[in-house]
Amino acid sequence: MTEYPVRRNPKTIIIVTTIIVILIVASYGFLTFWKPRFVVYTYSSFMDWGDEGAEAVLERAFAPFEEKYGIDIDFVILQADANFIVSRLNAEAANPIADVVIGIDNILILQEAARNVLEPYESPNLAWINETLVNALDPEHYLTPFDFGLVTLIYSMNTINSTTHPQLDHLTLADLATSELASALVTEDPHLSSPGLAFLLSQIAIYDKILGENWTDWWEAVEGNIDIEEGWTEAWSAWSSDQTKHLLVSYGTDPAYSAHYLGTEPDTAIAPFYYQDSHWAWMQVEGVGLVKNGPNPELGKAFIDYCLNVTVQSEIPLNQWMFPVRTDLTLPSVFDYAIHPNEVSILNTLLNSTEIAAKLQEWLDEFDTVMTPG
Amino acid sequence: MKKQEYWTYLVLSLPVILLSIFLVYPVVSVIIQGLISETGTSFVDTLSAYRTQFTIAFTFIQATLSTVLALLVGLPGAMLLARLRFRGKSLVRALIIVPFVLPPIVVVVGFLQMFGSYGVIDSALMLLTQSSTSIMNLADGLVGIILAHTFYNAPLVMLLVSASMERLNPEIEESAEVLGADSFSRFRRITLPHIRPALAASAILTFLFCFMSFPIVLAFGNGVYRTIEVQIWNSFRWSDFGEASSLVLIQIIITITLAVSYIKLAKVSDNDSGPTTTIRTTTLDKYKNWEKSMILAYLVMILVLIGGPIVSIFRAAFFDPITHSYTLDGFSYLITAGATGGLNPLINSLFYGGLATLLSILIGIPLAYAHKSKSRGLPSLSSVMVLLPLGISSITVAYGLMTVIAVPTGLNINPWPIIVIAQTIIGLPFTARSIEIGLKSIDPAILDQADSLGASRLQRLIYVELPLLIPSILVGAVFAFAMAIGEMSATLFIALPQNYTLAVAIYDNLGVRRFVEAGASALILVAICVVAFLTMEKISEGSTGGTL
Repeated sequence: MTEYPVRRNPKTIIIVTTIIVILIVASYGFLTFWKPRFVVYTYSSFMDWGDEGAEAVLERAFAPFEEKYGIDIDFVILQADANFIVSRLNAEAANPIADVVIGIDNILILQEAARNVLEPYESPNLAWINETLVNALDPEHYLTPFDFGLVTLIYSMNTINSTTHPQLDHLTLADLATSELASALVTEDPHLSSPGLAFLLSQIAIYDKILGENWTDWWEAVEGNIDIEEGWTEAWSAWSSDQTKHLLVSYGTDPAYSAHYLGTEPDTAIAPFYYQDSHWAWMQVEGVGLVKNGPNPELGKAFIDYCLNVTVQSEIPLNQWMFPVRTDLTLPSVFDYAIHPNEVSILNTLLNSTEIAAKLQEWLDEFDTVMTPG
Repeated sequence: MKKQEYWTYLVLSLPVILLSIFLVYPVVSVIIQGLISETGTSFVDTLSAYRTQFTIAFTFIQATLSTVLALLVGLPGAMLLARLRFRGKSLVRALIIVPFVLPPIVVVVGFLQMFGSYGVIDSALMLLTQSSTSIMNLADGLVGIILAHTFYNAPLVMLLVSASMERLNPEIEESAEVLGADSFSRFRRITLPHIRPALAASAILTFLFCFMSFPIVLAFGNGVYRTIEVQIWNSFRWSDFGEASSLVLIQIIITITLAVSYIKLAKVSDNDSGPTTTIRTTTLDKYKNWEKSMILAYLVMILVLIGGPIVSIFRAAFFDPITHSYTLDGFSYLITAGATGGLNPLINSLFYGGLATLLSILIGIPLAYAHKSKSRGLPSLSSVMVLLPLGISSITVAYGLMTVIAVPTGLNINPWPIIVIAQTIIGLPFTARSIEIGLKSIDPAILDQADSLGASRLQRLIYVELPLLIPSILVGAVFAFAMAIGEMSATLFIALPQNYTLAVAIYDNLGVRRFVEAGASALILVAICVVAFLTMEKISEGSTGGTL
């Protein structure tokens, strides 16, 4: 060693570092210090599919409510889906910070875990919406309907159409089980995605109730061909980027979305299932619910009432691409391209909620067993 | 004197106490509550389900295959790195570690762009065969999972093994040469036995990381292939706490077994030759032509497998795949404040990561001393404690911290301290191990001198030991920082949107198909890590590999 290192006094370095760290931590803590707010938990894409983005839309829709009660609504947009939010609410059950949760749907609410973290509330404004929706979602009022949509198959008209594939007009699960269509079909994991689960339940409803056959046979037939993606976004990416993937499990409003963005005729079409001379689709109803033991129960109830106002409901079609639950609203003209609930038979009517609640876990386990290799 | 011993014991056991409160207690309480509350599937039902058995078997199989491949890919690189003298070696060494510190979600993106359908390789093949449809998708299924794991862990093997090889005494090799041993038998008889502990250690670490793999398996497994970790996550999502707890228990039993064998191996490698000897190095033109072409072929493979996904991330930061144009929007996102900008996540990442690094040093120092302690039980207890974070699912830690620490204390309304704790736990194995190695290389004579000159224990620590430990502290700090800044799953579980870090923001942006924003954020993470490693390499003069 030619050079001998100069010894600095570590005491000064340690003291200076400590002071700087304390200052930084204190100022970060101060800046982010919690101010009491009204907290709404929701999932990441909530009201985020429009031209303006979620922030502007939520501001416009809920400013009157904030003004009336003199509060700030804190939309906690969790980077997660509704299942995950329920899991978080369970973790926080002893000391919840959320007042209201938006996005739990008619299948998730059947779970014990979801009902455990919610408080039933019957809004007086339920009079404005169709009773069938209330019953389809939750007759016990743990949730109040917020929006709804139809889960069905869509296809890209750029790659196939009903001339090349006439079966698209009267699609059956048997058509989909052929290796040609099965390898062109993209769906979502029923464990991780609500449209994926809706598709599984649709398939079970058709096999079990219409055809009277063993539903797992179909999955055995398509295993290895069908593309099961993690969630809707991944499935959409796979479907839109891969020319060989023609069909996607998605929503009946997709042609409307396509027409809205192209400004022309849509390039996406719908292929609902066809049985017993009728088209069938699964109905998903999303609800808003009061968090059990939340900090502001009265405000929470007022918020739920407010969600059914025209101000909020009229933002749903073009930002959420679902149907508003209020029946007295005029839908945007692009919604003419969407499939409407009165044009199809609803598959949910074949499987009642008691049956789903009792058997869902068993069905998912059976699904896993079929789809697990070996 | 008696009082001082009491204090020493207290300070040394402090990390163990802290880890018991913030790691063991939350995890144990999650397991126990899940098992006794009878919500969801029971332990016996979970174990007897075919799906669980398949998941456990798959977790083992993919981890084994990934480890073998990582060793095969990493070993030649390690040898080259140790033997070859070339310009920019420290840069290469710093770059090699980049994959290891990338958030898995970024790796998924890089892999899809490089190896996926219509990715770089597929497009090239399509062009060659004039095909209009995708020919090969390597970023999918078992192949995708194993390739991604190799991408992650081959660099780890390279660093660990090359660090060990560099300490090979050149005299032994020279004697072998004089005695007429050819290069193969020199490798078999001298190099291999020398690096065997490092090889075994890197194999176990790789196995452990692959065993715990989560985002990669989630993305490429198509719901069919799952690791135990993925299934734990799935059980939590479905609020099946019984199944989650059962799986966590199984996972911990397996990982602790692995961790214990790792500690045993580390003890063996302690008897290694000291850090003073350095291997004989050489330059590229000393090699024969066929050797050169082998090296070239190997470098091309490394460039494709490890460089390719990273370059794809660079491209993703500027190229918008939706509009097919180059843009700087990603970077303007990073300097935008507010709810939609990337500035807050960037600040959060630096703040949480920095604080977690500092804490993991503060806890890591006494933990490293506890390893050396002569008190009964403390060294082995602290060894197990320090490896626990590598073997417990971070989602379970996060859920445990939420339910038993955050919620009762009301911290869940502003949970950033909990995130810092979680990230500290994740970084701790790296700081503690690095400082422990640094401690071993301190010449005891220096400490004796300090004692005989009348320095108190505290004076000796502050004026003698800590200054000597600074390089190892820095090495550990950089690893801890990289782990903290790339951590996603625990942060995602604990955080409210105001606490999101850059890694979470990447996941968020990918979810809504804002690819340039995700790419630019990923690029910043890569840049931060590379700068940190370069700084560290300069200060510590290339002892990185010994850390792990």
